[in-house]
Amino acid sequence: MILLTPLKKFQFPIHAECINPDVFQGKSKAEIATLIAWEGNRKKKLGDLFKIEETSAETPNITINGDISEVRRVGQSMKNGEIAINGNAGMHLGEKMAGGKITVNGNASGWTGSSMKKGLIEIHGDAGDYLASPYRGSTDGMRGGTIIVDGNVGSDSGCYLRGGAIMVKGNAGQFLGFHMSKGVIYVEKDAGRRLGASMIGGKIVVLGFVDDLMPTFTIDGVKAKAKVDDTLKAVGPFYVFLGDLAEHGNGKLFVSMAKNPQLKNYEAFI
Amino acid sequence: MTEILIKNGFVFDPINGINGEKMDIAINNGKIVESVNSQKAKKIDASGLIVMPGGVDVHTHVAGHEVNTGRMIRPEDHVKDAVRKTVLTRSGVGYSVPSTFVTGYRYSKMGYTTVMNPSMAPLGAKHTHEELNDIPLLDKATFPLIGDWWFVLEYLQKGDLEGCARHVAWMMETTKGYAIKIVNPGGLESWGFGRNVHSIDDVVPNFDITPREIVCGLAKVNKMLNLPHTIHLHTNNLGIPGNYVTTLETMKALESIATEGKPVAHITHVQFSSFGGESWGNLKSAAEEISKYINNHGHITLDMGQIIFSDTTTMTADGPFEFTLYQLSGHKWVNSDVETETSGGIIPMHYKRTSAVNATQWSIGLELALLVKDPWKIFMTTDHPNAGPFFDYPKIIAWLTSKKARMATLKRCHKKAQKKSLLTSISRELSLYELAIVTRAGQAKALGLKGKGHLGAGADADVAIYNINPEKIDIAKKYKTARKAFSSAAYTIKDGQIVVKDGEIVRNVDGRTMWLDVQTREQLKVDEEMKRKFKQYWTVEYENYPVFDHYVKVPEAITVKASV
Amino acid sequence: MSVINAVTCPICGCLCDDIEITVVENEVVKVKNGCAVCEAKYLGYKSEHRISHPLIRKNDKLVPVSMDEAVHKAAEILANANYPILYGWSSTNCEAQRIGVELAEEVGGVLDNTAVVCHGPSLMGTQEAGIPTSTLGQIRHRADLIIYWGCDPWSAHPRHLERYTSFTEGRFEDSEWKSYINKVKAAAGRKKLLSAQRVSPKKQEISVAESVVFNKPPETLQKEGRKLVVIDVRKSMTAEMADYFIQVEPNKDYELMQAMRAMVKDQDLDVDQVAGVPMEYLKEVVDTLINCKFGVVFFGMGLTQSAGKFRNIEVAISLVRDLNLRTKFVIMPMRGHFNVSGANIVFAWQSGYAFGIDFSLGYPRYNPGETTSMDVLLRGESDAALVIASDPAATFPKRAIQNLVKHPLIVIDPHMNPTAMLGDVVFPSAFVGIEVEGTAYRMDNVPLPLKKVVDPPKGVISDEELLKKILEEVRIIKAQETKNKTEGA
Repeated sequence: MILLTPLKKFQFPIHAECINPDVFQGKSKAEIATLIAWEGNRKKKLGDLFKIEETSAETPNITINGDISEVRRVGQSMKNGEIAINGNAGMHLGEKMAGGKITVNGNASGWTGSSMKKGLIEIHGDAGDYLASPYRGSTDGMRGGTIIVDGNVGSDSGCYLRGGAIMVKGNAGQFLGFHMSKGVIYVEKDAGRRLGASMIGGKIVVLGFVDDLMPTFTIDGVKAKAKVDDTLKAVGPFYVFLGDLAEHGNGKLFVSMAKNPQLKNYEAFI
Repeated sequence: MTEILIKNGFVFDPINGINGEKMDIAINNGKIVESVNSQKAKKIDASGLIVMPGGVDVHTHVAGHEVNTGRMIRPEDHVKDAVRKTVLTRSGVGYSVPSTFVTGYRYSKMGYTTVMNPSMAPLGAKHTHEELNDIPLLDKATFPLIGDWWFVLEYLQKGDLEGCARHVAWMMETTKGYAIKIVNPGGLESWGFGRNVHSIDDVVPNFDITPREIVCGLAKVNKMLNLPHTIHLHTNNLGIPGNYVTTLETMKALESIATEGKPVAHITHVQFSSFGGESWGNLKSAAEEISKYINNHGHITLDMGQIIFSDTTTMTADGPFEFTLYQLSGHKWVNSDVETETSGGIIPMHYKRTSAVNATQWSIGLELALLVKDPWKIFMTTDHPNAGPFFDYPKIIAWLTSKKARMATLKRCHKKAQKKSLLTSISRELSLYELAIVTRAGQAKALGLKGKGHLGAGADADVAIYNINPEKIDIAKKYKTARKAFSSAAYTIKDGQIVVKDGEIVRNVDGRTMWLDVQTREQLKVDEEMKRKFKQYWTVEYENYPVFDHYVKVPEAITVKASV
Repeated sequence: MSVINAVTCPICGCLCDDIEITVVENEVVKVKNGCAVCEAKYLGYKSEHRISHPLIRKNDKLVPVSMDEAVHKAAEILANANYPILYGWSSTNCEAQRIGVELAEEVGGVLDNTAVVCHGPSLMGTQEAGIPTSTLGQIRHRADLIIYWGCDPWSAHPRHLERYTSFTEGRFEDSEWKSYINKVKAAAGRKKLLSAQRVSPKKQEISVAESVVFNKPPETLQKEGRKLVVIDVRKSMTAEMADYFIQVEPNKDYELMQAMRAMVKDQDLDVDQVAGVPMEYLKEVVDTLINCKFGVVFFGMGLTQSAGKFRNIEVAISLVRDLNLRTKFVIMPMRGHFNVSGANIVFAWQSGYAFGIDFSLGYPRYNPGETTSMDVLLRGESDAALVIASDPAATFPKRAIQNLVKHPLIVIDPHMNPTAMLGDVVFPSAFVGIEVEGTAYRMDNVPLPLKKVVDPPKGVISDEELLKKILEEVRIIKAQETKNKTEGA
């Protein structure tokens, strides 16, 4: 296993796609030190930026000790192995991930798990904006895998979701699940405005307060429980909404009845 | 340095009838010459290599408002193909809507030296020229869209061909254009209010004229003005199942205008206009019907518009057609209508082998190229980027010259398309000579570019040398080798300077922008009338409308004496 | 004395090109056809705030230096920077913007323009949804339903209505000027009547739209001829002139547009009002949209800068797209600076991207929030900046400015504006469209030539020339560094 420690506090953005178990696999410590990373507009070697140590464990794992909130694209497209970050992580962490596991003992920045295909990302702090959401102009949303966030997630998360699961123990920002078509998003606390806007399929379950439900969702009924995945059935009762009508959508919003008394007038339509 | 001698190459120069002869090509001061002083000249050893005139692309969307809007809305396309800056070359992006510098570099790497930007809204002509200035290593020209221009509609409706001709001449000079471009005639004006025309005899709302009258009128005007190219036409009903009928009708309508068996119209990306069947469900090829007609008539030239199976971006002046594509696909859609003049639309498109429709379209393009017997009548294009990105041209070259190549692709297509495809029964494979026609000589001839597309004395010294030895390699069998060779020229020479060596840019040069200086007898009257009408028709002043000289970095004005 | 016609005004995105300028002894003395803002600029460009000399900050004071010294210092700053920002660009010509791209690429920095505080969300919206649009002339000739949403042209684009929309004569539609005059006369008449009846004007503030029930569509919405609709959070000057003013609840435009989309697609909604508009009225509004011959939505900061930002634009575009299934509809952003469009256009054709372009890795990359100048500044990532043809010190958030001035700042501007006052190297700039000619792009992307009507002050060169000097010097410095490195190795 490789242990990386930042050699200084980074001011400039660091591009380090090479920090990836697939890339480190089979390389010696010396070879890893010569991998290319960019600091601002200067091409550097990984060894210029990180202290690189090797432990005896034979696993294709990487542990990073320290604040790497300026280090971008760690674990991008990785297929195997594990990365553990003991600090805050930078943008594009685990983007297009196709397997393996990433753990962040701290906060994550924007575009974490963008267009993820498979694997597991666990964030013990907060996640930034655009969690699991695809790049500008693209509809290539997360297809599989699981993302678990202990804290809050920012805005525009789970956009174009087409599979997999996003579990949030804290609050979610605006536009959660924008234009999602499949997959499930689960929020234990409150969800921000424009929840599920333009969704056409899939499911969002919110146990807390839903701010300002979109007018283009119609009430479908009331359900005692909501299935999140094979291991978890959230306990309601929930209002079940269908939408987004602007897209002729068949997405479902499960919204806690207890925490959303402002939605009581929908009961007349059931 | 100004003298170059290309020695011992297998030369293919169809305009001068040279078919693979081993001979030397001499260059001096940017032109092909009979001979040079072999002591002083720089020598290129072309033994075992084929030597052709530089590639000429008759129809490729590379510059202007339409193309640039395509760039602006497709960051997800750019991110697939980032191009790094080098000492000699600028950075940029590639894939389906490359940035301007990358466009020049990539064409040049394939041995191309001249490209035609086929759609320019006159109101945005300055923009088109600014972008053309930033495309290095290529000579270029651009075609103003005038098929739905109010002046054309009004003059033709009145029956005043001379008046129309004078106005078209004015437009050609004002926009520094090269040819009359017509797209879905009558349809674009109708689209101003969200409508379209569906046959060449539909009446255009508010203008009391038909597409037939527009096309024939402009074909006549083209002759009166003695323009080097014919009218360049994108037919009505493009992209609609069963549209081959409209294409045949259009070609028939033009028969009476032809004289001396010379072409009077060029129908572009004809694959999109050769659909049989009645719906998307039973779409089939009408390549047989179209090629039969072309084989029996000499007044039309064509270019393929060949589909490449890839993720690309469609962009045309055919606003209503792009809207149809939006209705079918639901993808992000741009529409851009231009006051008084024309229209436009953009939508991303992904052509898949597994789509029966796309696979049939792919087959149609190749069927047309192979069933039309005379290679001087149909040229290789993808209508870049509509049917595919230009850097995939080598794939088409392989399909045209090797049955093995096309069958290998056909086998991976949707079963329905495989069954319908005529390719199974076509065994023709283009020779290198014919290939030189459909990728350079034929295009130059149809465009009336006297100095391009050939290697005779006096021609511009635009040369492409490819790593293929016709004595050792049969490209019909070794199509992958052929593809590689045409992707990456051994040498590209532009105006007598080596710009590409082994597929890498070794020198930067600016190309020229060619435009027509059409000299009519009665010029002044047009200017006076224009000034009066300007305030009514456009939202810019007459004085600010033209493409002033300083907008064209390296101009080449071609004088044309009109008969009017 | 000379009179110059067909001058293109260099202020706002209208890019009116019918201005007539009278010049006497290299000074503009008269402006004809222009709006008040145009006149102010042409008659006031020679203010006492003009920078006359290149300046460098020495001992915390800006002192005049030679052009060569300033160019060298600026080039040194940029060549040595690890992550410089090159920002602004919207008030200069395309010729200068082109050099800007080359310079940003050469120094491996972030190239960004004022769209980042303005219509950046609009560009982002089009990347998600496309955009059905047209040139302004199509509106003049064909539009019978004109909607201004979240913008106030009467204040910000003064001649917009008279040149391009409601008050123009088109081939297929007439001007609504007469009808507007009649409305104003009628309102004045009502006011007179009330004052004659001794009713205090303070108690009875009569204006056109307030005499009806809140947000109820007026009957005039069904009339023949052009209709003007304004949708905003408060009754702007333009709203005073409208046939129908819809007062939308602040930050609820997204909900309103999404609801309208559903209704255009014949969906029934479970709610009784959206964003302050009762459902029955909303139905009438949607009917009006569907039944027009040619509709247009113009939008501004009301949508781009309120909650939702680029998604507001995305949904507005989606609404117009959906309307195209029923009738003809287009949408257009009201671009602010006269050449902000030009910067986006030039950047896009040269690099592929319209703004927020990061060249630090040797090739262009784009991701708003990551590579946009504002965000780079907020995170304190940059170590140098060049600001041209803009004033971020006046428009950026405080923390961004604090980070901006922590590092060397080069400013190119005609005036000693707030940003210039904070600069370390300051260059005087000539006014494009007054002292320098060039090209600019209108809000509908039509290119227009800008004229030079007077000479710039002595010693003041064009931005294009200045940037070329800096670029050349950067290349010399970098070549020297490479030489030193290889010799030292």
